[in-house]
Amino acid sequence: MITQPATRGGDADLVSASWTQPEAFAELFDRYSGMLYRYVAKRLGPEPAEDLVGETFLVAFSRRRSYDLAYPDARPWLFGILTKLISRQRRTEAARYRALSRAPVDDHEDSPADRVAAGVSAQAARPALVSALAALPAKDRDVLLLIAWGDLTYEEVAQALGIPVGTVRSRLNRGRRKVRAALGDTNPMVEEA
Amino acid sequence: MDDLKMLRDLGAELEHQPPATLARQRDRLPALQGDRPPAARPRRLRVGWPVVGLAAAATVAAVTVPTLVLKAGESVAPTGARPVKVTGALNILVVGTDSQVGTPRFRSGARSDSILLAHLPADRERITFVSLPRDSIVQIPACGATPARKDMINSAFDKGGLACTVKTVETLTDVRIDHAMEFNFQAFKEVVDALGGVEVRLPEPVNNHQAKLTLPAGKSLLDGEKALAYARLRYYGDGSDIQRIKRQVALMQAMLRKARQGLADPVRLRSFLSAATRSVKSDMDLDTMVAVAASARESQPTFLAVPWRPAPGDPRKIVWSQPEASKLFGGLR
Repeated sequence: MITQPATRGGDADLVSASWTQPEAFAELFDRYSGMLYRYVAKRLGPEPAEDLVGETFLVAFSRRRSYDLAYPDARPWLFGILTKLISRQRRTEAARYRALSRAPVDDHEDSPADRVAAGVSAQAARPALVSALAALPAKDRDVLLLIAWGDLTYEEVAQALGIPVGTVRSRLNRGRRKVRAALGDTNPMVEEA
Repeated sequence: MDDLKMLRDLGAELEHQPPATLARQRDRLPALQGDRPPAARPRRLRVGWPVVGLAAAATVAAVTVPTLVLKAGESVAPTGARPVKVTGALNILVVGTDSQVGTPRFRSGARSDSILLAHLPADRERITFVSLPRDSIVQIPACGATPARKDMINSAFDKGGLACTVKTVETLTDVRIDHAMEFNFQAFKEVVDALGGVEVRLPEPVNNHQAKLTLPAGKSLLDGEKALAYARLRYYGDGSDIQRIKRQVALMQAMLRKARQGLADPVRLRSFLSAATRSVKSDMDLDTMVAVAASARESQPTFLAVPWRPAPGDPRKIVWSQPEASKLFGGLR
């Protein structure tokens, strides 16, 4: 993503408006808090998620003057801050993956139809998938999950983490290779793909 | 199968919708603190009740619904026009409160923390629980001396008790409420004790100072006090809310199982009900409860929440989404 002129009503406008009128920053919260919440709730669970989203905006607010107005879209910036905050919770994340890899997917009562719909093989592969995520180096996991769960593009991930796009690609490839290897050990479906 | 696709599927499975309370985080922004009243500042939610209440309510409703002790002379039936009773369905309103009987802290009256509508269709095949979040802004009808107003749904209980809550829910949903009951922590404990305790299986030992709970790994039989502490326990396992909710659902299922096994005999059911109902207020007498409980013993429970969205102008509160909510309630008549 090369610089585009900030569109009217774009995030960059809001950030620059907040330099003189701090209340304008609240609009940014309304736009993106839900999205950031969904992302962090996947990684750390819903309990710490609310607080971390609040924290992200606090940090963002305190740094609003150093925001590069050449970027109209503030999502990568916010995801970058959130990623740093998540990295402080590495133990929570590791514990979550451990628990997820142990816990049966549905210990509440699902109908057999639900179970079929959810995809039996995907569920069978879940422990392997989760353990593979847990075993990844944090830097590779950040890239992989920003793409898979945060829906960022390579360029946006590069911007969020302050690394070159080439590095995003290599980390992503390394991460995916390890995940595939982990799945290949347990899931015959992967062979066919 | 594609590994990225599988990761995305896993992400979808782990997804949580942002709660209405997320908007409270907005108030942490320093720019916004000046012009808001202190009450709008983020506060720690009282956690625990909704699901503990659910567990208790589900046990009581699905098994024994009618644990409700009739307080002689007290009727919760509202006066005036009410929705017509059309079918053999039974609707029971369960209000979970944070009152702790006998503690000075709550002397001044209870606040309702969770409101559940339990629906048993005429064939009693299923039991559906619809939770009505307490932050819901709704139109509350006039009750006694309190005039009609728009307010949070739980204020109906704070100001007008069970009867006003029934009236409010009836006007909002057009669902006829046949019975109502009030439930608190004390009631949860007594239900567990009346069941003779509930068994849990723990992957790792619990030694929690805060909750004053020590349990070994493996099977344990919990009495009411311990079951409540276990259900509310926060820092155990990965400490996540999902895990706690799973724990509570498992606890609830264990209670249901135990109740269903142990209470097939009407004599035992009756003695359970009379023991379990000392701290539950309701408008049903013991015979009604025994009858309902017996008919609901095999019902499959389902849990729903009323469809909602953040309230316009106050994202910390919610309003019910229409027409989805009306459609949901239409199915419960």
